[in-house]
Amino acid sequence: MGRARLRGVLAVLSLLVLAASLASTLSPQETRARLDRLSQAISGVRGWRSDRASFWFDPDYAAFLDEVKRRTPESSTVAILVPQAPDLYLYQAMYRLAPRRVVEERWKNEADFIATYRSEAARGPGGAAITGGMLWTR
Amino acid sequence: MDPVTPPFLADLCVVLAALAAAAAAGWLANRDIAANLTRREKLAWALATGLLLQAIAVLVLLGVGTRPNAWKILVLEAAGATLATLATKSWRPSSQPAAVGGSGRALGALLWFVAGAAWLVFLAGSLADSMWSTDFLAFWGYKGQIVFLTGEIPRRLFRDPALYFAHAEYPFLVPLTFEALASFLGRWNDQALALVYPICSLATLLAISGFLARRVSRVSGAAAAALASLCVFLYRPANAGTAEIPLALGLVLASSAALDFLDQGGVANAGRLAVASLFCATLKQEGSLFVLVLAVMLWWRLRRVAPQKGRWLATASLVFPVATHGLLMRIARGSLPSRDFDFSLFEPSRWPELTNRFGLVVGRIVGTQARHALLPILALAVYFLVTRKAIADRLIPVFVTQLLVYAAAFTISAFGPTFAIDTALDRLTMSLFPAFTLVLGARLPTAFTSSVGESRTRLRPASETAGS
Repeated sequence: MGRARLRGVLAVLSLLVLAASLASTLSPQETRARLDRLSQAISGVRGWRSDRASFWFDPDYAAFLDEVKRRTPESSTVAILVPQAPDLYLYQAMYRLAPRRVVEERWKNEADFIATYRSEAARGPGGAAITGGMLWTR
Repeated sequence: MDPVTPPFLADLCVVLAALAAAAAAGWLANRDIAANLTRREKLAWALATGLLLQAIAVLVLLGVGTRPNAWKILVLEAAGATLATLATKSWRPSSQPAAVGGSGRALGALLWFVAGAAWLVFLAGSLADSMWSTDFLAFWGYKGQIVFLTGEIPRRLFRDPALYFAHAEYPFLVPLTFEALASFLGRWNDQALALVYPICSLATLLAISGFLARRVSRVSGAAAAALASLCVFLYRPANAGTAEIPLALGLVLASSAALDFLDQGGVANAGRLAVASLFCATLKQEGSLFVLVLAVMLWWRLRRVAPQKGRWLATASLVFPVATHGLLMRIARGSLPSRDFDFSLFEPSRWPELTNRFGLVVGRIVGTQARHALLPILALAVYFLVTRKAIADRLIPVFVTQLLVYAAAFTISAFGPTFAIDTALDRLTMSLFPAFTLVLGARLPTAFTSSVGESRTRLRPASETAGS
């Protein structure tokens, strides 16, 4: 085997190793599951929610946010008392309730509404029970 | 949900049409500056330019207090493209468009099959759910949705202390792209909006393969595109909704335009540098950094070129869009305190701490991160040993500098160096990878030749055309 040929073989082999390493995190199982969800989205299956996967950390949280959204005007400020971890509790609330201004507990004095989810604060008086928590109007 | 009229598919078609309209405007705007490129490259440049035109159209509409909709955006895109065509009419290069060359059609087709399969997996993964990454929910998608729902860019996106995590300092191309596409839809459908990510990924693969096919060989282009497409850490559903995937496109475009300017000079290539620079700067600060490092590289490389006009032209084409964008952002949002970095570490009393932190960063990167990536790093080392210098090697110092600046940024991270490395290093590195495949692809033919410099492309010194 000539030197040039050997170098060529080594170059191709190293690119193959690199390619295999790059693709090694691809999970066929996850890919199949995503294909299933895509096919459900395309065929418009009844009850399908495209944001279901984004509530992986707490599937019940979506219904809570839906109800807060229904009960509060878009121009309002809503203080959300939710678990600290993962931070997705806060980010999901901000994103799903937009354009409402969503704030954490420390800014609750600026809020028109206070919504608590699975929190001890939900035991206080005066709030309305909603899915997964309580909602106070201030 | 009515199965007869699936809204997702209908929305997806509208988003695709909106992206096609933006790309058509971009194609028209680039008609002269991209005249010498392959069709694949033209498509990639058209998308990037189109996304910029689309965002500018949205900004103009918001600026005059009008809510953007499909027709208004289309009219402004067409007007912007026409203006750009008129402005760049005399920039068209005199030489003919380059023909795609090189043998190995069958191998090229096989590699394209691999790239196509990987892209399809990413396409399906991106569209399977509404976008859900933390960065999308906390700032990219959040800002886009707020702009879409309120019909303005509210001050609170920059000033509200409750949004302390939403990176008020980040540029706005991604949120404005979401806003524009949602305006075409007439509603916010974050599952359909995700289409922009596989389209950007496709444009990146086209830009890589088109550039290398034009400057090196067809197989080099296909091999580099296949490698880039397999970068699953970048092209995965978790990154749909972030800035990294469009940024990877911007870095490839900036790199390829820089290599063309180095070898051919010319106003058309300078125009492409400016477009790529603006695209990178409006996506993320890492894009501005890359462009500025690229400008230094061009300034250095063109130091012996006469006339010096070409040197100034290349540097200004890269720096001016970044500076203008930075200035406009500063005017729009005012001065913001830095939340991510602790600059007090530069005070003399904290220098020992700074040194310790840098040691920690190096230890973390070399000891943990690099150990995890040992196999691909070894493969790269072997590849560089058995291949020879090629046209894109001039980009290597740019990548190295970018990584060194990342290490410096981790050192002064306000959240501690290890947290920053663990959460950001992989993502930051991977967004550089598609541009790095230009280096790998360009070197490929040298492994099969016995002498140095048997690349198909004869390099013309920039002095022949620079600044023409």
